[in-house]
Amino acid sequence: MNTNSNLYTVIYTAIIVTVVAAVLAFVSQSLKGKQEANEKAETISQMLTAGGFGSKAEFQAMGNVKVLETYGNEIEEAFTVDAEGAKVADLDLGQKEVFSRSQLKAQNYKVKDGNGYAIPVYKFKNGITVVPVYGAGLWGPVWGYIAFEADGQTIHGAYFDHESETAGLGAKIKDDPAFQAEFVGEKAFFGESPVFAIVKGGAPKEDGKSVVDNQIDAITGATMTSNGLDAAINMWLGAYAAYFGTFKAEEE
Amino acid sequence: MKLKETVLDPIFKSNPITVLVLGICSSLAVTVTMKGALVMAISVMAVCGISSLILSTLRNTIPGRVRIIVQLVVVAMMVILVDQILKSFESTFPIDKQLSVYISLIITNCIVMGRIEAFALGNKPIPSFLDGLANGAGYGLVLLIVAFFRELLGSGTLFGMQIMPASYVTNNLVILPPFALILLGCIVWVQRSIQKDLQEK
Repeated sequence: MNTNSNLYTVIYTAIIVTVVAAVLAFVSQSLKGKQEANEKAETISQMLTAGGFGSKAEFQAMGNVKVLETYGNEIEEAFTVDAEGAKVADLDLGQKEVFSRSQLKAQNYKVKDGNGYAIPVYKFKNGITVVPVYGAGLWGPVWGYIAFEADGQTIHGAYFDHESETAGLGAKIKDDPAFQAEFVGEKAFFGESPVFAIVKGGAPKEDGKSVVDNQIDAITGATMTSNGLDAAINMWLGAYAAYFGTFKAEEE
Repeated sequence: MKLKETVLDPIFKSNPITVLVLGICSSLAVTVTMKGALVMAISVMAVCGISSLILSTLRNTIPGRVRIIVQLVVVAMMVILVDQILKSFESTFPIDKQLSVYISLIITNCIVMGRIEAFALGNKPIPSFLDGLANGAGYGLVLLIVAFFRELLGSGTLFGMQIMPASYVTNNLVILPPFALILLGCIVWVQRSIQKDLQEK
């Protein structure tokens, strides 16, 4: 048979591509459940890390089941809120329902529009509230979780992750504990603009310590990632402003 | 070529990294920890071996003009399969996250396409499969040697277990990619002084 004829070549490539596509689709479908379970445990462990319930490495060593169990023990309430700060719907605590990355991405478009969104709030028993942020870094999405104290203003902790930021530079948002530690004790100025800022050139300092305000230092050599994360945090915390505004009203 | 040589040559005598100087990029990137290097080594072995087997079986039917494209499709399929499988297990999920793009980048690893083009398309399936595995193993061996020094000196651990005494100050240079290049250079040096025929006159 002439394997170099045009017809043969076209048919051959069509068959190969179809077979490969079928194999990949089958494998992807059959492994989906397991992958989602892993993703969910990862999401929850990131939230718990931001909330200061342990370090990321500890949760990794724990295994999925224990991570879900810890979450089940610590969580008090999980629900979504809209632009007015009003509760939209409850997340199923029994199922340990959390917003996946693709759900955050879907909401991200609505948050950008400024209305019609329903974004998750996770309230823990010790008074800590954890909210997600999502945005674009340099090469791909960046996202993370910011935990607030009971006053709804002071940051208790933060954890960030990324898909493909540059190793050693932009990847520091995830890998460098010092960067995440910078958030601790700072405040988000809800209702102001910017709500929070990652600034180039240094946040105001006193005696070598960062002044308690809404600014922290950007990462050297990772301007684009820092800017992307800054925009993500501002947009998402801005979207939560109305919700956190209700904290103040309760105090007064 | 005898089967024994097919298997043993790529491990040392014609090692893909130190002699052919292929796959350097990923060997700099994934050798910070032994775990990462081991998973990467096994992944490359699987991709290289099985793609070679499939393409060698098909070799007489592949149209010459779209040869490379067909190879690429099969290799890409294998890489995606490996990535999907790594993502599915609780124990390998964090490693897959840590290796991130480098698993997908196996497709651009010259060793895989190089061995298919040079060996699998001209040989029977079984020797091709062994050749693919052996080249993956040769690559993996160098990866593990580099990772051994980098993890031991850079983090004071091996496979995540503390080896160095607590007073050991970890060396940050070792963690950074340039040190992998220095180590690779040393390995090539050792190999060339043992294997005289590699030395240029």
